[in-house]
Amino acid sequence: MTDLLLELQEIKTYFYVRKGLFKTMTIKAVDGASISIKKGETVAVVGESGSGKTTLGKTALKLVTPISGKIIFEGKDVTNLHEKDLKWFRRKAQMIFQDPFTSLNPYMTVRQIIEEPLIIHGFDEKEREERVFKALEDVRLHPPQDFVKKYPHMLSGGQRQRVGIARCLVLEPTFIVADEPVSMIDASSRAEILFLMRSLQKKYGMGIMYITHDIATAKFFSDKIAIMYAGKIVEIGETQKVLKNPLHPYTATLIEAVPDPDPKNRFNIRKVVPGEPPNPINPPPGCRFHPRCEFKVQGLCDVEEPPEVAFEKGHFVKCWLHTEKARKSA
Amino acid sequence: MALLEVRGLKLYYKTVRGPIKAVDDVDFSVEKGETLGLVGESGCGKSSVAISIIRLLPRNVEVYEGRIFFDGIDLMQLSEEDFRRKIRWKRISMVFQGAMNSLNPVLKVGFQVAEPLVVHQNMDKEEAVRRAKELFKLVGLPPDFVERYPHELSGGMKQRVVIAMALALNPEMVILDEPTSALDVSIQAQIMNLLKSLKRELGLSMIFITHDIALASDICDKIGVMYAGQIVELSSIENVLLSPKHPYTQKLIASVPLLRGDRVPEFIPGAPPDLVDPPPGCRFHPRCPHSDGMRCVKDVPPMVGVEGDHFVRCWLYSGGLK
Amino acid sequence: MSSPREFFSEFWASKTSKAGMLFLIIVVSFSLYTVATFPLDYGTRYWNNPKYWADNPKLAMPQWTNFFLGNSFLEHKIISMSAPQKMYPSGAYYVKSYEASFDLNADQFPTFLTLKLESVSFFSSKAPAIVLLVTRPDNRTIELSRITVEPPLFTEEPPYVRYVDEPRRVLVSGDPRLSITLSDFLLNAYNLSLEPGQVADIGYEKVIFGELCESTFKPLKGRYLFTVLLYARDARDQIGKATIVIGGQVYGFMGTDILGRDLAQGLLFGFPVALLIGFATSVLSTLIGAVLGIVSGYVGGRLDDVIQRICDIMNNMPQLPLLIFLVFIFGNKLWIIVAVLVIFGWPSLAIVVRSMVLQAKSSSFIEAAISLGAPKWWIMVRHIFPQVAPFILAQMIFFTPAAILSEAALSFLGLGDPSIPTWGQILEQGFHSGAVFLGHWWWVLPPGLLIVFSAVTFVLIALGLEPVVNPRLRRWR
Repeated sequence: MTDLLLELQEIKTYFYVRKGLFKTMTIKAVDGASISIKKGETVAVVGESGSGKTTLGKTALKLVTPISGKIIFEGKDVTNLHEKDLKWFRRKAQMIFQDPFTSLNPYMTVRQIIEEPLIIHGFDEKEREERVFKALEDVRLHPPQDFVKKYPHMLSGGQRQRVGIARCLVLEPTFIVADEPVSMIDASSRAEILFLMRSLQKKYGMGIMYITHDIATAKFFSDKIAIMYAGKIVEIGETQKVLKNPLHPYTATLIEAVPDPDPKNRFNIRKVVPGEPPNPINPPPGCRFHPRCEFKVQGLCDVEEPPEVAFEKGHFVKCWLHTEKARKSA
Repeated sequence: MALLEVRGLKLYYKTVRGPIKAVDDVDFSVEKGETLGLVGESGCGKSSVAISIIRLLPRNVEVYEGRIFFDGIDLMQLSEEDFRRKIRWKRISMVFQGAMNSLNPVLKVGFQVAEPLVVHQNMDKEEAVRRAKELFKLVGLPPDFVERYPHELSGGMKQRVVIAMALALNPEMVILDEPTSALDVSIQAQIMNLLKSLKRELGLSMIFITHDIALASDICDKIGVMYAGQIVELSSIENVLLSPKHPYTQKLIASVPLLRGDRVPEFIPGAPPDLVDPPPGCRFHPRCPHSDGMRCVKDVPPMVGVEGDHFVRCWLYSGGLK
Repeated sequence: MSSPREFFSEFWASKTSKAGMLFLIIVVSFSLYTVATFPLDYGTRYWNNPKYWADNPKLAMPQWTNFFLGNSFLEHKIISMSAPQKMYPSGAYYVKSYEASFDLNADQFPTFLTLKLESVSFFSSKAPAIVLLVTRPDNRTIELSRITVEPPLFTEEPPYVRYVDEPRRVLVSGDPRLSITLSDFLLNAYNLSLEPGQVADIGYEKVIFGELCESTFKPLKGRYLFTVLLYARDARDQIGKATIVIGGQVYGFMGTDILGRDLAQGLLFGFPVALLIGFATSVLSTLIGAVLGIVSGYVGGRLDDVIQRICDIMNNMPQLPLLIFLVFIFGNKLWIIVAVLVIFGWPSLAIVVRSMVLQAKSSSFIEAAISLGAPKWWIMVRHIFPQVAPFILAQMIFFTPAAILSEAALSFLGLGDPSIPTWGQILEQGFHSGAVFLGHWWWVLPPGLLIVFSAVTFVLIALGLEPVVNPRLRRWR
C-alpha cells in the first residue's frame, strides 16, 4: 500500500467536439481504465492510435480532466484539486514528450530550458546552477558547460530528447509519464535513451508510465505491461508473462503483427486481423474488439462488455474467453 | 541483365552552408521481380536515392550525376519530356512518404487514381473509372470506394489508394518510401501482406525504403544498408541478416528489440553526421568500435565484394586491417 | 535573449544590419541637427509665413543643377548694401550713393528684379527720393526705378523712420513705367523702335540684362553695377539697408517651391517629424495589438470574444470619416492623427497575433511548461511571446513607413497638420501645384525619395534583427 505511487481508478476521459450549431460529439478517449504504478516500477501502456494511451498519460498528470474516476497520487486524491493547490503535485509528477523537435522552446538555450522548472518553483540561483549541471551529467551530455549554451536546433534528436529528460529530472520527480519518448528517434539510438531512463530509475527510484505503440521496446524496458484498445485496458500483467502467454486476442494480434528481423519473413503471409480500430465516438457494443476477433462468441461478445478477470497473480484480462474458462475451471 | 542498374549515383543539394552530399557514389542493381530494400536512419540519403531514380528533384540541386540503366536505357540521358512520357509512372512509379496525407482532399479518390490513366493514356472517363475499380479490387478495397473522399477513409485505406495510384499504369518497378511508417502495427501488417501478394501476382520489382530493418526482412530479397549518403553493405537478405559484415549493419541489427528472442538491444552512441561536412575517410569511423584511427580516418573505403555477391564498404575487408 | 553582447555581435554580423544602421544614423543625425537648430514653431513662424520667403525665387531648381548642366542657370542673388559708397551734394540735395556689383555668367535671364529698402530714416519734412540705376557691362546706364519715401505725418517727430517693421519691396520688373524707360533705351542703344507695350511683352529682364543679337535678346554677360541713390535734404538721412534681389533659376540646396520656400529647410524639418510619427504610431499600435493578441489567443474564453468583437468593429469602421469628424472637433493637430492611426492600426495586428498564438499554443513545449507548473502569465511571456516576437518586430518596422505614408495621405486630403512641414505635405503641395506635369522634379522627387529612404532604413534593420530574434536563422559557430 505504501509504495503505491499512482492509482488510476476507472478513469473516463471524454472530449467534446462541437459540430455545427447544435450537435456535440463525444469522443470517449479513455472509457474506464484502471492502473497502478509502484515506486521504482515501469509500467508500459501499449496500444495503437485511438487506443487512449496518450490521453491516459495526460490524465494521470492532470493535463486533461477526467469526467469520472479517481487519481490517487502518493495516497492523496488529487482528482478534483484546482491548479492552485497542485504546485506540489507538479513538482513530483513530470512528463517526457514524444517529439524532440517541438517539445523544446526553440528560442531558449539548454540552460534556460532545464532551469525553467526551477525558476517556477522558486529555487535560488546557486541551487539552480547545481541542479542544471547535475541533470546534464545524469543524462550524459558531456561536457555540460558546452551544452548549456546551445539552442535546440544545434542538437541531434537524441540529444534533444535527453535535454527533455534533464528538464524532467531537475525537480526530482517521483513519477514520470514518458509519452512515446523514442518513437521519433533513430532505431540505433533508442536503446540508449531507454537504458538511460532505466538507470535513472534505478538511481532515483521514480515510477515511470511508458506509453508506446512499440510492444518490442516495452518488452525490455518495463516491469508491467497494459494493453489498451479503444479506450479500455484489455490486458495487464507482468511484461514477460503477458508477452509469453498473451491472453487477449488483441494482444496476440499485436505480437503477431510485429516482425523480428528474419530472412524467412518474406515467404510467409503474416497472420493479420482484418479491419481497423474503432471510432472513439461510436465504439461497437459489448467487447470493443469483437468485430475483428476470430474467437468472437455470438450473442455474448457483441452484447455485453466482458468483466476483468484474474488469470494468475497480477495478470488480468477483459475477455469472455477467459471468463468462460474461469467459469469452467471453477 | 538486371532491370535496374545504378552506377556512381550522386545527388548534392545546394544550401547556404554548402552542398549537402545526400547521395554520394551509390551503386546497386535490382533484378526483375526482385525487391531491394534500402535501409538506413535519418539523413542517410535513402529518400534522395528514390527521387533521383524517378527524377523528381527539388530546385536546389547542385550535383546530379551517375548512370541509371533501366532495361538497358540510360535514364540520365533522357530529356525531361522523354522521361515524363516514357518512364515516369509508366514503367517506374513511386509511393511517397506520407503520401496518404497528400491526397487531394477535394477530389474523390477514384478520380485521383484514374488521373494518370487519363493523362498518360488518354483514356476516356468511363474506361478510366472501370480501371480504377479494378485497381481498388487489386489492393483490397471495395470497388465502390471510388466515390469516396479521402477524409472518409482510414489511414490504411488511404495507403491502399496510394498504392493503387502507383499501379495505375502497370509499371514494372515501384519505389516505396516508408509506405507504412505512419500506420498502426496491425494495419502495417495488412499492407505488408498486400505488398507481398502484389509482388507475387504482378511480378513487380520493388525498391522498399525503410528505417526498420525488421520490416525490410518482411518483403525484401536484397538489402542495401545506407549510412551518410553511401551504401555500406549490399547483399541478399540472408547474408545481411545472418552474417552482417559492416560494423554499422551489425550494430543496427543488434539494436532491434526482439519480441521472440531474449537478446538485449544495443545502441550506437552519437548521431549520424552532418552531410554538409561529413567526417573524412569512412563516414562511420567516429562511431565505429573497430576504427583504426589511421586509414579509417583518412581514406574512404571502396566497395568490395566478399564471398561472391556480398559487398561491403569497410577497411576491415579491403586488405590489411584484420 | 541571453546577453546584450551576444545580441549585438549577432546583429552586427550581417551586411544588411550595417547598411540599415548606417541609414538610421543618417536619419537620426539629420533629425538631431534639425531639432537643435530649428525652433519648435518653425512651421507656423516661418514655413507658413509667405513674407519670410518673399526674396526667394519661386520654383527655383537646386543650385547644384548648374554644376551638372554646365553653369547655364542663373544663381539667385541677394546683394545688400548698408553703407553709402559716395556722398556728394547735388543742388538742393545730398546724394548718397550705395553701390553693388553683380556678375552675370549664365545663359539665362534673371526671372525678376526687386529692390528692398529697410530702415530708411530722414530728418527734413521733405521726404527723400530713391533712385535705382544699373550700369551694364556695355557701359550703358538705365534708370530702373524712382521711389518716393512717404512724407511725414502730423503726428510724427524727426527723425522719421520708414520700413523698419516691414521692408518696402519694389518689384522693379513689375513697374509699368519701366516700359517707357526701356523703350527709350532700346531706341538709343540699338536703334530699335518698340512700343512700351511691346517691351512689356518681351519682358523687362530681357531688355535690362540682354543685348540684341540679330532679332533676339541674348543675355549680356559681364559685370553690372547697381547704384541706389538717396536724394536727401539732410545729410543725416540714410538708408539702413538696401537689397537688390536678382531672381535666379537656381537657389539653395534643394531649390524652392511655388511660394519660394527653401525646400532644403522644409525637407530637413521632415526628418524628425517623420521619425516621430513613424515610431510613435508603429510602436504604440504594435504594443497594443501584440499584448491584446497574445492575451486573447492564450487566455481565450469570454475575454477572447470581447477583444475579437472590438477588432471586428474597428476593422469595419470607416477610418476616414472618423478622422474627419475628430479633426472637426479637435482641430488638425499632429497628435490626433497619431492617435487615430494607432487606434486603427492595432486590430489587424491583434488578429494575426492571435492566430499565431493559437497555433503556438498546441506546441508540446507549451504543454511541457504547463506540466512543469508554469502559471499562465509565465507561459505567455516566456514561451508564446518569443514565437510571435519576430513577426511583431517585423510588423513594427514595416509599419513605420506605412505610418509616414498614412500621414502623407491624410495631408493630401487637407487633414494634415498644416503648421508642420512634413514630406507628405511637401509632396502634396507639389502635386496640387502640378509639379509633376510641369517638370518641377526638385519639388516632388526629394520628398518621395526621402520617404523611400526612411522605409528602406527600417526594412534593412528589420532584416538584420531577424537572426537575433529567431535563433534558427543564426549562423552555426
